[in-house]
Order: sequence, then C-alpha cells, then structure tokens
Amino acid sequence: MTNRSPVGVWLGGMALLTLTAASAWGASPTPKSGGVLNAMHREDPPSLSIHEEATVSVNWGVMPCYSNLVLFNPLRGQESPATIIGELAEKWAWRDDGKTLVFTLRKGVRWHDGQPFSSKDVKYTFDVVRGAPGAPALRLNPRKVWYAQIQAIDTPDPDTVVFRLKRPQPALLMLLASGYSPVYPAHIPAAELRTRCVGTGPFKLKEYRPGELIEFVRNPDYFIKGRPYLDGIRFIIIKERGTRIAALQAGRLDVTMPQEGTRNAAEQLKKAIPSMVVTEVSQSINDNLLMNFKRPPFTDPRVRRALSLAIDRRAYVQAVRQGGAVVGASMLPRPWGVWGLVPDDLAGLPGSGDPAKQKAEARQLLSEAGFGPGHAMRLVVSTRAIAQYIDMATFVVDQLKQIGVEATLEQVESAVWFAKLTRGEYELGANLTGVSVDDPDSNFYENYVCGSPRNYSQYCNPDVDRMIDEQSQMVDQVKRRRFVAEIQKKLELDGARPILGWSNDYYAMWPYVKNLVPHQSVYNYGRFQEVWLDR
Amino acid sequence: MKTSVVRFLRRQPLGSAGGVVMALVMLAAFAATAVSTDDPTRTNAAQTFQPPGRRHWLGTDHLGRDIYSRLVHGARVSLAVGLTTSALGGLLGGAVGIASGYERGVATAVIQPILDIMQGFPLLVLALVLTAALGPSLLTVIVAIAVPFVPRVARVVRATTLAIRESTYVEAAQALGASGLRVAVRHIVPNTLAPLIVLTTAQLGSAILVEAALSFLGLGVPEPYPSWGRMLSVSAAEFAQRAPWVVIFPGVAISVVVFASNLLGDSLRDFLDPRLRI
Amino acid sequence: MWGFLGRRLALAALTIVAMSIVIFVLLRIAPGNIVDLLFQSAGLVDISEKQRLAHELLLDRPVAVQYLTWATAFVHGDLGKSFRYGLPAWQIIRPRIPITVELAILALAVSVAVGLPTGVVSATHQNTWLDYGLRIFSLAGLSMPAFWLGMVIIILLVRTFGWIPSMLYIAPWVDLRAHLLQFLFPALSAGYRSAALINRITRSSMLEVLREDYVRTGRAKGLAGRSVVYRHALKNALLPVVTVIGTEFAFLIGGLIVTETVFNLPGVARYLVEAILWRDYPVVQNLVMFIAIVVVLTNLTVDVLYARLDPRVRYA
Repeated sequence: MTNRSPVGVWLGGMALLTLTAASAWGASPTPKSGGVLNAMHREDPPSLSIHEEATVSVNWGVMPCYSNLVLFNPLRGQESPATIIGELAEKWAWRDDGKTLVFTLRKGVRWHDGQPFSSKDVKYTFDVVRGAPGAPALRLNPRKVWYAQIQAIDTPDPDTVVFRLKRPQPALLMLLASGYSPVYPAHIPAAELRTRCVGTGPFKLKEYRPGELIEFVRNPDYFIKGRPYLDGIRFIIIKERGTRIAALQAGRLDVTMPQEGTRNAAEQLKKAIPSMVVTEVSQSINDNLLMNFKRPPFTDPRVRRALSLAIDRRAYVQAVRQGGAVVGASMLPRPWGVWGLVPDDLAGLPGSGDPAKQKAEARQLLSEAGFGPGHAMRLVVSTRAIAQYIDMATFVVDQLKQIGVEATLEQVESAVWFAKLTRGEYELGANLTGVSVDDPDSNFYENYVCGSPRNYSQYCNPDVDRMIDEQSQMVDQVKRRRFVAEIQKKLELDGARPILGWSNDYYAMWPYVKNLVPHQSVYNYGRFQEVWLDR
Repeated sequence: MKTSVVRFLRRQPLGSAGGVVMALVMLAAFAATAVSTDDPTRTNAAQTFQPPGRRHWLGTDHLGRDIYSRLVHGARVSLAVGLTTSALGGLLGGAVGIASGYERGVATAVIQPILDIMQGFPLLVLALVLTAALGPSLLTVIVAIAVPFVPRVARVVRATTLAIRESTYVEAAQALGASGLRVAVRHIVPNTLAPLIVLTTAQLGSAILVEAALSFLGLGVPEPYPSWGRMLSVSAAEFAQRAPWVVIFPGVAISVVVFASNLLGDSLRDFLDPRLRI
Repeated sequence: MWGFLGRRLALAALTIVAMSIVIFVLLRIAPGNIVDLLFQSAGLVDISEKQRLAHELLLDRPVAVQYLTWATAFVHGDLGKSFRYGLPAWQIIRPRIPITVELAILALAVSVAVGLPTGVVSATHQNTWLDYGLRIFSLAGLSMPAFWLGMVIIILLVRTFGWIPSMLYIAPWVDLRAHLLQFLFPALSAGYRSAALINRITRSSMLEVLREDYVRTGRAKGLAGRSVVYRHALKNALLPVVTVIGTEFAFLIGGLIVTETVFNLPGVARYLVEAILWRDYPVVQNLVMFIAIVVVLTNLTVDVLYARLDPRVRYA
C-alpha cells in the first residue's frame, strides 16, 4: 500500500471539517449581494433540456434556470429525506398509506417570460416525463422509469397537485428532489427547451454561446425574496483539462465543476494556493464492469465470478483513483450513502478479500469452465476514449492478464461507445455509472431490471426484479435497508455489474465563494440560489 | 560507401551525433523487451508516482507502470510510425515522382492533380477524419501521416527528375538506344537518392510530432501500446506539478529524437548536395 | 500567363471538389452518427424516434444522394443546420472564423518577424557562436510538439505570475489591450515552429546566394557590403521563404487546432475537432470546405508569386 502523503491526510481532515462547518451555515457571516461567479465547465451540455439528458454536464450549467417541486437543501452536503426542502411546493404530505402524494404550491410565481405558474405546469411536466397516454413525448427520456408508478396526476386547483400512485413508492419524493427533476412550462413545447431556457429559477439565461459560455443573470422576480445573492453566473467552457486547472489557479475561474475535481489537481491547487477551499465528497458515480450476458463465455456464471474475483478492488482504488475512491457494491457506500453494505458484508464479495487467494480461485474457476494455460480465454475490453475510463480499463486488462486471460484494450469514441453498448456489440466494457439520488429506486430500475434500456449488460433475473419491486414499496426504512443489502449482495454474486469502486470528488473553490456546499452526488447542487461572494 | 560514411562522420560532427542517437533509439526499439526492466503494461497499485530511483530508473506513472520500460517500448511505436511513413513516402513518392517527371504528358495531367489534392489536406484534419472513420489505431495514424508526405516527396523527386532528364547523360544514353526503364534506373534514381534520403530522415521526426499531436487530441495510437505522444499529452496537465518525471522524460525523448533526426537530415543534405533546396 | 492561371484555377476547383467528396464519404463510413450520440448518451433506445430523426436529417438516404443534396445547397449558399445544436451551421461558424484567421495571421507575422532576421543574422555570421545558438533555438522549435509548448507556456505563466490570458474571447473593440494580450501567447506558441522553419530556409538560401558569383562581383565593384547583402541576396532568398509559407500553411492549421484547444480560443480549427467527434456532418463539411478553399487559394497565390519572382522557372 502506498504511503498516504501528509497532504492527503491533511486534506481528509480538512474535508470533514469543511463539510461539517459548511453544513452549519448559521455560523457564517452576513451574505452580501452582488458579483458574478465564474464557474468551470468542461463541455457543452448535449442540449439545455434537463429532462432529456443524463450527464452532469447538463445539470451543472442549466439548473440555475429552473425550479423543482422539492430539492435537496443546497447547504447540507449529505443528502437524505430529511434535507429535502420545498421550492415550488410549500408543503407536501403522503396520504392513503403512501399511495397519494399531495403538494401545496407556492402562489404568485411567474415564469421567466412573465406567464404565471400553476399546477397545470406540474401536471404537464410529469405527464410528459412519465409518458402518460395523450401527453406529448420527449425525444429522449432517460428517467421515464422513475415515474412508472404514477397512475395519474390531478390538479384540483391552481395551487394543488396530487400524484396518485399504483402502489406505494416512498422513494418518489427523493426522485423529485433530484437536480434531474425540474418543472417545465406547459406553454412552451419541450423541443424548444433544448436551445433556450424558460424556468422559474433564481437565474435567467442571458446568453448561450456554444463551445464558449453559458451566461445567467439574476432573476429579479424570483419567488424567494432576497435571493439569489449573485448578480449572475458565467459557466466558462474549457475543454482542455490542464488549462481548466490553470484557469482556476489563476483566478479566471472561481469554482471547479463537479466530477472534475481529481485528487491530484486538488493537491496541486492547495500547494499553490493554501487558502483554496477543497472539499472531499463522493461523486455518486461508480466504476463498473459490463459483462455482456448474451455472449459466451459470460453466460457461464463461473466465468463471471472469476473475472470479478480477479480485480483487486483496493488496488484499484489506490492505482486508478490515487486513493480517492471507496470500495462498495451497487449502492453508494458509507459514509457517503446510507444504503452501503457494512464491512462484513463487503468482505465476503469478490474482489475484496486477499488478492492472491482470490486470483487463485479465479484461475481455478476458469479452468473448471474450460479455460487454461493451453486454451486461454481471449477478451476485448472496450472503453471510452476518456482519461478516467482508459485508466480503469488499463488496470482491468492488467489484472485479467494475471489470471491468464489474454485481454486487449479497445478504446472508442463516445459516438461509437453508446452504439456498442445498446446494441450489445462488446464483450467486456469498462464503464462509469452515475446515480443521481441515494435511493435504490433511482439505481436499480435504471440499471438492473430486465429489459431496462440502460441495463447494458442485459442482466435479467426475475427474482431480483421481484425483490426490487418489493423494496420499492417498503415504508419501514430499517426493514428496507436490510432487504436492499440482500439485493446488493445478490447482484455482486451474480456478476450483474461488478462494482470496482465509487470515486470521490475533490471540489475546489476560492475562499471568497460562500455557501456553495458540494453534495455527495454531483447532480443536485447546481442551483446557486444561496451562493454569495465575499469581496 | 564505407569511405563516404567515414567522410561524413568526420565532416559533419553534429549530424553524426544525430545519427548515433537515431541508431541507439532504433536499437532500443528492436531490443525493447531485452533492454527494458519491466513489462510496460504492468500496473502496480503500490508503486504509483515513484520518483526515479534504483528500482525504477525513470520513476513510475500514475498507474505504477515503469516509465523507462514504457519509453523503450514507446520507441517502437514512434519508430514504427516514422519508419513506415518514411518508407511509404519514399518508395511511393519516389516512384510517382520519377514516373511523372520522366513521362510528362499523361502523368502530369492525371497524377499531378491527385498529388495536389493529397497535399492540400491539412495533416491533422485528414488524421481526424480518418480516425473517426477507421477508429484510432496504428494503421490509421500511419495512413494519415503518409498521405500528405507522399506528394511532398513526389514533388521534389519530380523536380530532380525533370532537371536530370534534360541532361546530356540521358540524351546520350537514349541516343545509344537504352530503354526508358534502364535510363531511369541507372541515371535518374541515383541522382534522386540524395533528396530522398534527406526528406525521409527528416520525416521521422515529423511523424513523431504528428503522432504526439494526435495523442493529445485523443486520436493517436491507443492503449496498450505505450506511445511517447500519449505519455506526454495525457500526463502533462494532470501530473506535471506533482510528479514532473512522468512528463519530462517522454518530452525529452520526443525532443531529442526529433532534434537528432533534424540534425541528421540537415547534415546529410549539406554533405550530399548543399544546393538542395528542401 | 493567363492560360497558366486558368489551368491552375481549374485544378484548384477540382481539388476542392475532390476534398469535399473524400471527407463526405469518410465521415459516413465512420461508425456512429449524431442519432447514436444524441440517443445513446441518454441511454434510451426508442427505435421510431431514432428513425424519424435519421430521416429528418437525411441520414437514411444513399451517400451519393446525400452528397448531391448537400452540394447543391452549398452552391446556393445554404450551409445547412448543425445536427448538434439545431442552429444554422453558418451562424455557429461565422463568429469563429475571424478568430482563427487572426491567430493564423499573427502566428505567421511572428514567424516572419522572428525567422527572417534571425536567418539573415545566422547566415551573415556563419559558424560563430551566434549562429550555433540561433540554429539550436530554431531546431528546438521544430522538435517540440505544439501542444507541449502551449501547455508549458500556460504552466509557466500561472506559476510565475499567477495569471493566464482570458479564457473568454475579448473582441478588439471591447478592450484592445486585453485582446492583444489574449492572442499574444497563442501566436507565439503557434508561430514558433514556422519561425524555426523560416529561419532555416532563410539561412540556407542566404548562404547559397552569398556564395554566388554576382554577389562577389557586386562586392568587387566596391558596393557597400550591407547593400549587397540586402538588395541582391535577400531578394533571391525570399523565394523559398514564400514557398515555405505556402506549404507550411496547411501544416499551420494543425498547429492552430492544438493551440486553440490549449488556450481556449473559440476558433474554427478547434471547433472542427468537436464537430467531427459529434458527427455534426454539416458543420464538418462546411469547415473542411472553408479550409480547403483557403489552402488551395494560398497554394495558388504562392505558385503565382513563385512564377513572378523567379523567371528561371518554366511551367511547361
């Protein structure tokens, strides 16, 4: 194990301190109004329509424009049902044993173009997103499955919305609090929202110059008086990683972008500028392996288990993420996520035990499956041509070589990558998966149920599907947690999508930026409604 | 031939130094496995970012891989790209140049436009589109670099051929009844060797630089082949301040080899025919 | 002369058409298209939606039909819509062109301003330490990858001054000083390599010319040393320099791509890479056409200049 550098230990300590301090925002000085924040952005969002995309590049860059029904409190780094606050909704309540969710909406809210906001906008948004019969369809709809339990949405009056579910789904509130769940205007066709933004959020879109800049200006009619503090936000798009870091260091940028805070960059910045504030949080993004269940030899569970055993998870954390990651199963591990497996459970899973023993066991399994020294397994590991992916895939290839598998690396551009995944034209894929909200419903339905479009490995286990449905209805969270732990173990043992680890983010910002608290999920804190500049 | 080499070594010390460097690099590339200390693709979680020392002569990178071994194996890629494109360009360009210089009419009308088109492609643009079309691979990089190189060689060779064609040797030979091919081989080819040699030695350096640029844009020779260009471009920004050796050594390798190839090319030109304008 | 010009123009036109066909075909061979990218990045496969979009963008027609549709539209001045942004391609490309053009001109200016005088000095002080020093300096310029140089400049700037040029484009009429400062370092970075080349060519052709008889004659006649150098030698030495500028131009574009990426300048060169990665066919086509036209015209100009400057060249 590499010696942890003193800077690393120091960072960790500061991180905990900062996260705690930041959460207790009552202790910070009086906010000042004014100033424009220069935020880092790494690429153009594929479009400006949050509901149609599934990348942090769209949340970070468009969230300031919109409002949700409910949102995770921006000032609390650790998201949970307890940190959900209302945005467009003032109050909400569960009724009918958890089958009905009633929202009382704020009054007097206006869209950026002056039109009044009402319950019909909420009904429109979620009818469209859930694919209600008769509702206009989105061109792309990655989270349709989130809302599959909604039977109907009623609007008894302009200030009340009622979600009627087919069966209880306590997670629905968490899903609605995600950065991915803004409310769209009913009077504007969804297609237009790809290139312009009309929301009820704290900032109005001033200008979008593709490839350069997304600029927002303060919304003077924002429904929370006295907010936002900032006069505007500029998301400056810089494609080149080294230039981004230099720009932050030189003060051309005030804050990093979530998911772009590598440990190295953070340490480098800290050395150059000791007053730089660096917060260690999870990204809520895991590194995983996709095994194509429809192709031999992956149809053989022994092979799947062998491959998973071969990858030493702790070595992975050290080598590929320089210690900036946590080993875990399919749900975000502790302390960042509440559903993570306890260490005892983890220890029993492939990849977490003694590396030498596990590799030996892997070799044994492979020879049982018919592969051996004379008849080695040949594999192509495919991955995207992006540094984070390539490093992971390189490590995987090397680990597989150590159990006698002749693995070669194939790196492809994004255009080709997605095509490969959805058409099943790959053998083993080295992949990153983001989970927006720390709730099993957000994760399992998208990635593990039979036939889900994003279940790229095409894993299908009807028993697991039943278990996932069962946990989704559980109101008793303690019981639910235990049940979800069983599901996670089963998924890892089945080799559904072996998780290598969950990466950390080292979020850096200049000290004069106040009230920007990184959350343990990169997708949900891009609203900037509380941020102010102390200068 | 031997005396020429000795004369060269004596008259052109700088160029000779360049030649020696190139020879060393080629040796390292051919004997890569023997010369390196580790498997260049073996990752080692416990040994990431080790500074240069006894165990790892040039240190290790972010995945714990030995940099010295990666440099040595990377020489293979750089040389493969450089030598193949040089050879392709030299042979194809030379043949085309001689043919179009010797046989004027048809060749000029057909070949010349094609050459102009090939040469008109900005190098990186063609490489980008080719890589998108064919996927990043050693072959794509070679083709992308060779395409603009061939016409450049052809042009120079054609010019030389045109000049020689008018000379008295050729007229005499033709008067004596020698066939076109014979004339070409005996008189024209030897005289075009000089510019060819200069161009192809310089091309080696050029090819390495282009491969580095392609790697920077993410389109170069992909893993697991260690490539100097990729070692430099991927690591530069991220690790420069934390572990400078990860970035310095590939950078030095590229610069030194390209420098050497330029020196060699220059000196060869001075030595063979100072009047060459290339 | 005019027959020659006419022939060259015809050739130029043919070259441009051929380049457009090659790029068009290569793009469509490339696996994955915009429909794949848009849909799969969100991970949902709705076949009918995909097909509808593909049909809308003409991607399901044979390549020849697509080409002809595009070519006719292009000739009429209709540059199509960006697949990615849905906005007219011209609207996206237009603001970027002046930036790349300005960077190219500045880089060339740097290269001539640095390369020419140093080449002359090197030649007139042949084999002195000054000469060796300058030769090393110029060889270094040819041996360094362009992006490397750019990155080094940025890192040095941030470490020494805690400052880097603006990451957002500043137009000259908004703040001239900041604008020039923004372009200074990229121009230096992109121009270094061409400066090195011009230096070498100038040096070698100056050396050659200085040896020529008529210079010796000029000296014998008693003309002042300097005027001999500058009037006779330099004029003849300019010839290959002009050629180099012409051939280097195509290479320079590659350097611009990399420099614009490193210094975050929103020019067409950098945008080309992104458009290719996004399979944004209309934008790539237009950009390549634009580049082709510029390159071909530059070559043409160079050839014409060459013919005028050197009466010994015959274009049979």
